[in-house]
Amino acid sequence: MKTFTNSNARDPQQAVKLARDAHAAGKAASFVAGGSDLLALVKERIIQPDVLINLRGLQNASEVTSSGGAVTIGAGISLDALSRHETIRTQFPALAEAAGSVATPQIRNVGTLGGNVAQRPWCWYYRNGFPCYKNGGNQCFSFAGENQFHAIFGGGPSYIVHPSDTAPALMALDATFRIVGPFGERTVSAKDFFVLPRQNAAQENVLGADDVLVSIQLPAAMAGARGRYHKVLDREAWTHAVVSAAVVLKMDGDVCRSARVVLGGVAPIPWRLPEVEQLLAGQRITDDLAVRAGAASIAGARALSKNAYKLPLTKGVVRRAILEARG
Amino acid sequence: MPALNTVGHSTPRIDAVERVTGRAKYTNDVQLPGMLYAKVLRSPHPHARIRSIDTTRAQALPGVKAILTHETTPVVWGAGGIAGGQQYNDEVKKITKHRRYAFNNPVRFVGEPVAAVAAENRHIAEEALRLIAVDYEILPFVLEPEAALESDAPKIWPEGNIAVNNRNEPLPITQKRGDAHAAFATAPHVFEDRYSTSFVHNAQMEPRSAVAHWDGDKLTLYTPTGGISNCQHDMARDLGIADEKVRVVCHYMGGNFGNKNQNQDGDLITAMLAKAAGAPVKLEFSRKDDFIGMHGRWPTVQYYKVAVDNDGTLQAVQLRGYSGMGPYRKNSGAIGGIELYRCPNVDHVVTPVYTNRTVSANFRGPEFPQGFFGIQSMMDDVAYKLNMDPVEFGVKNMSRMFRDEVPFTNFTLEECIRRGAELFDWTQRWRPLPGADAGPIKRGAGFTYMLFRSGLGMSSAVVQVDANAKYTLFVGVTDVGAGAKTTMGLIAAEALGVPLSQVTVVWGDTDRCPYSVGESGSRTTIMTGYAVMEAVRDLKQQLAEKGMPTGSQTLVAKASPNPRLEGKVRNAFGAHFVEVEVDTELGHVRLTKYVAVHDSGRIMNPLTATSQILGAATMGVGMALHENLVYDQKSGQPLSAGFYYDRIPTHLDAPTVEVSFVENDDGYGAYGAKSIGESGIILSPGAINNAIFNAIGKRLKDLPITRDKVLGALA
Repeated sequence: MKTFTNSNARDPQQAVKLARDAHAAGKAASFVAGGSDLLALVKERIIQPDVLINLRGLQNASEVTSSGGAVTIGAGISLDALSRHETIRTQFPALAEAAGSVATPQIRNVGTLGGNVAQRPWCWYYRNGFPCYKNGGNQCFSFAGENQFHAIFGGGPSYIVHPSDTAPALMALDATFRIVGPFGERTVSAKDFFVLPRQNAAQENVLGADDVLVSIQLPAAMAGARGRYHKVLDREAWTHAVVSAAVVLKMDGDVCRSARVVLGGVAPIPWRLPEVEQLLAGQRITDDLAVRAGAASIAGARALSKNAYKLPLTKGVVRRAILEARG
Repeated sequence: MPALNTVGHSTPRIDAVERVTGRAKYTNDVQLPGMLYAKVLRSPHPHARIRSIDTTRAQALPGVKAILTHETTPVVWGAGGIAGGQQYNDEVKKITKHRRYAFNNPVRFVGEPVAAVAAENRHIAEEALRLIAVDYEILPFVLEPEAALESDAPKIWPEGNIAVNNRNEPLPITQKRGDAHAAFATAPHVFEDRYSTSFVHNAQMEPRSAVAHWDGDKLTLYTPTGGISNCQHDMARDLGIADEKVRVVCHYMGGNFGNKNQNQDGDLITAMLAKAAGAPVKLEFSRKDDFIGMHGRWPTVQYYKVAVDNDGTLQAVQLRGYSGMGPYRKNSGAIGGIELYRCPNVDHVVTPVYTNRTVSANFRGPEFPQGFFGIQSMMDDVAYKLNMDPVEFGVKNMSRMFRDEVPFTNFTLEECIRRGAELFDWTQRWRPLPGADAGPIKRGAGFTYMLFRSGLGMSSAVVQVDANAKYTLFVGVTDVGAGAKTTMGLIAAEALGVPLSQVTVVWGDTDRCPYSVGESGSRTTIMTGYAVMEAVRDLKQQLAEKGMPTGSQTLVAKASPNPRLEGKVRNAFGAHFVEVEVDTELGHVRLTKYVAVHDSGRIMNPLTATSQILGAATMGVGMALHENLVYDQKSGQPLSAGFYYDRIPTHLDAPTVEVSFVENDDGYGAYGAKSIGESGIILSPGAINNAIFNAIGKRLKDLPITRDKVLGALA
């Protein structure tokens, strides 16, 4: 790895300032929280920061606060703590389940919610240092290459899939993201937080080089809804989702008032399925409806040369996640 | 078989506490005063000629103490590439034309060493690598063995891409009996199919490492090796010095699985850097370096043609096989399996082929898991097509003599199969109609059987006793994971008639221990164990003649027996039965029952013997369902190096295996012990695949059986 210096930030504003100062001095800077993924990228020289700005010392970075049913979660909370948090487990179960499904216990102990949401792709071309869009190049090697784990939705010009387990759950819960940057604070909806490669092929979200993701809010309207995160992975632990689905159902007795269905592992961003959600809204969630929802889930999907199996897989995951969320 | 006092009783490893408390000193824990750190610059290209290397800027970096390249150091790594893949053969190494150097030009695979640096710390060493300027002329490359044999394929060696035999001739491995061609013309049933297996890395927990230092003209090398004697001899030969000028030390190692009974290029490079720098040097591979810089299992393509009578009797088996060796023939590239069947007509042709991939060589049961997967899937399929129960088809056609000619020292294969079928409840779990379960989650059962070499051979041991009746056993084992230190102690204690606590075992140091055959081929217990028995026999005779030593005297006995089998073949036997649950909607395969029955002769230590089967079966799960070093076809770059992308099984993926031993003592080896370490992995890929067929009614033919293939077959 390249030699770097470490700067500890006390608060988000100082973190932003440290980043701005580093950039102004012509240095590459990266924010680090848990570091479970960042250090691996540094070791492999996929990124080569001169300065690491450490967010571990930020005040209240891992707090969960409730207000009128809405919940604000510090981005620095560990994935393990998030998965065990009483309010999250009972009021927003899809998120608790998603956090608990990440990688391994060791990684969940150090990895943070913010880091999980903002982690870089696990495309093997990117991580092996190919000069792709994500590495500052201008092509996607997976398109005509080994694309068995790549996108069936929203691809082009890059075909990476978003690796986060918590991101689909957050999108299904209508989460908003509070960001502190050089021009102050702003709050961004999940819809606007993640960006498709056709908007910006180099990154997966709107965070600028000097932006710190501080906290994530879950609205009161989603508290207590039924939820499920169903993750399919290629071994029993420590892989990202091949396909996953976060399903949140607001029920009225046995009728679904409204639904959110968001996929992981299939697109460069968490992939929401509005047509499937409309199919479920106002209906009793029957086995047959779940089958139809599964079938509808791949409308518009386009397989690459080696990932056509993701089409039937997605159908199956959506069907099951809906039935499991229904309970 | 009468019970013994010490051997045969479950005994914890004698070094278990050191290992689990972190006190055990592995190679990477060795720290020497003034030690430097090494890094290896590896080829980024699958095939390229080096026009020039400029190390000037790296030399000028403060803290850099030595730099080696193919220009400065044209040293042959003898064990890295041998005509015919014949390890431990100095004569063949001498005549080998397709030689592998420590640094090669041209470079022939991504990851091949181009230069090495020793520096004051590993960061300086890494920086220095980046300052070495290499001018490459990119050459065309080829990754797959069949493609490498096409007439317009790029030539990896001037003579072409068929890996040469021990006379430097580009000829395949052949085995013929009877007239298969004639049998295919007349037999009532002839079946043909193609199977393939992938490159699977040995993937030890401990990445490759080495520490070398020179005291005058004597080298001490700390390295994770399963064969200190072979490593010593290889190092001496490569460096052009006498064997006694090399001391190899390995007290603890983090797994072998078949690629550590020679010196490795990292050992040679570290020793040469230490010489050049005049200081001790440590080298440790990253996980990625380990995956592409060390070897793995050779991938294969297997075309079978099988002729059967109406009653299910095998008439002919033909195999046309291709093994991808990487650009050097480090081992044979054979494909095992024909020997499992009694058959009058056999036509077996296997071509080992050079490719521009990471080198393939020994990995736990070198040629058998690939070949047994192919032939046992093929024969399972034939049984269904004849409306026969695969177990009955196997029992009817299995070998009962070696190559139908030579008797075995004992034969329990049928007993292994029958006991396995009973423990597994085969008649209940096996579906006569494959894929018949209702609903998306379907179960099925499959089985395979095996025979595996357990031959005798030369090894050595020394045992001594002092006036306090303390016994010390010197054996050249290192314990690659199978528990050899403990096993040797148990055998000595048994032969001496004393408790294990009265025997001190000294291992892993060529300056202290006699020659040992090396822990590969599942032969340490058989060969070195027998040498221990012989040494004890000698010591007892001396004791009878001279009485116990007194004062500071010791009595010492050494044995180097080389027992032979005349007119017989000695094999271990086994059968695995697997039940899987296939989620046909998600393409997920889960193992729900696993029964392993083995005849490994008398079991020395049931605790570690059982662990060997569990570990091997789990590795087999990885080979069957997960692992494959995926290459980008356009660039020739490996994409899935490492534990994450290669999907190595985790603890949660390990099946619960019920292990049962058919024990006996055929009168050979140490108390009748036969091979065990490799045999478990040989059976699992085929058994899992056959169970998948029974569950879903679709025959999968290419390893690993990943989700895309399962869903593809069901689509």
